[in-house]
Amino acid sequence: MSEESVIAALRALADQDCGREAPEEVETLLLAAFRRRHAGKKLKVIALAGLAAAAGITMFFALPREHPQPVVRAATKQQPSTVAAAHAPEPTPVRAAGPKRQKPREIVTEFFPLMDVAPPFERGELLRVMVPASAMREVGLPVNEDRLGDRVYADVLVGQEGLARAIRFVSYR
Amino acid sequence: MIPTDAALLEQALTGAEDAFTALYRRRQGGVYRFALQMTGSTAIAEDVTQEAFLALLLHGTRYDEARGTVASFLYGIARNLVMRRLQRRPGGDVEITEECAGPEDLLEDLTRRESIEQVRQAVLSLPPVFREVVVLCDLQDSSYDEAAAALDCPVGTVRSRLSRGRAMLARKLRGVACAGRSIECPKSL
Repeated sequence: MSEESVIAALRALADQDCGREAPEEVETLLLAAFRRRHAGKKLKVIALAGLAAAAGITMFFALPREHPQPVVRAATKQQPSTVAAAHAPEPTPVRAAGPKRQKPREIVTEFFPLMDVAPPFERGELLRVMVPASAMREVGLPVNEDRLGDRVYADVLVGQEGLARAIRFVSYR
Repeated sequence: MIPTDAALLEQALTGAEDAFTALYRRRQGGVYRFALQMTGSTAIAEDVTQEAFLALLLHGTRYDEARGTVASFLYGIARNLVMRRLQRRPGGDVEITEECAGPEDLLEDLTRRESIEQVRQAVLSLPPVFREVVVLCDLQDSSYDEAAAALDCPVGTVRSRLSRGRAMLARKLRGVACAGRSIECPKSL
């Protein structure tokens, strides 16, 4: 068989297939993905300020709460005669050193990009914040309707220009 | 004025749904047929089409107009997805015909659907590196340059693989023709 005959045979096959296309469901699924992605991006721009504020709030409230009792105890011991110390509530006894608690294991998702076209990354910071669980849905993660209002931990990668570039979600087991 | 693929892609990446839809509708057929002709499976072709356009959404910023057309970029993505699936398939490719001497006029039989399906099977039986060139250049009407960009290889490689692919097909189709006409193949072949 000559090469021309082969080409003609292939032409016939191409003609037969020329009307074949992906079914409409593929377009529907892709458009849903497209909307999810870009709706998430709009939310992200708005949420950026909120995230930054949340980061500040989280750090402000989280840090002093971590070791409140030792501070009270120290004050009581060093200044036993001061009025403040006299009226200070009795610190809750610290639990005796028992078997060491196992540190909860941190589980993180992959990073989800928050920008399509990002300037080159030079340096940045990772901010641990709390966000509504609905933010997980914005990046395509499944969240039950009744848990949309829950707060979840997230790490936000902020670039040198101050823009949030990516987010990942954190849970503890 | 009809916007170019590159312009549509650029708009789609900034969130223009109309642009993404237009680009998808313009290019999905080619991607779907490429995957179908490479694998012979409509299910895989659908998956590959969907994944290729998703990848375009996610990684479209990597497209470089200087390196080829958006269509080539898409074919390149689809080709990688197809190759991954072909590697996962157990048994690999199966030769469907034996080579033998036969008539030169297979073309007249091509009016029959059955014969066209035999051509499809012959294409599917080609080794993937030859199959992809035949599918792109002969079935998808891609130019050598476009095929080279999609396959990330020199144009000369595309030419030589296409030539070898067609030669393999000629032998396979000769076999189909003589099998169809109950012509005994000479034992020397």
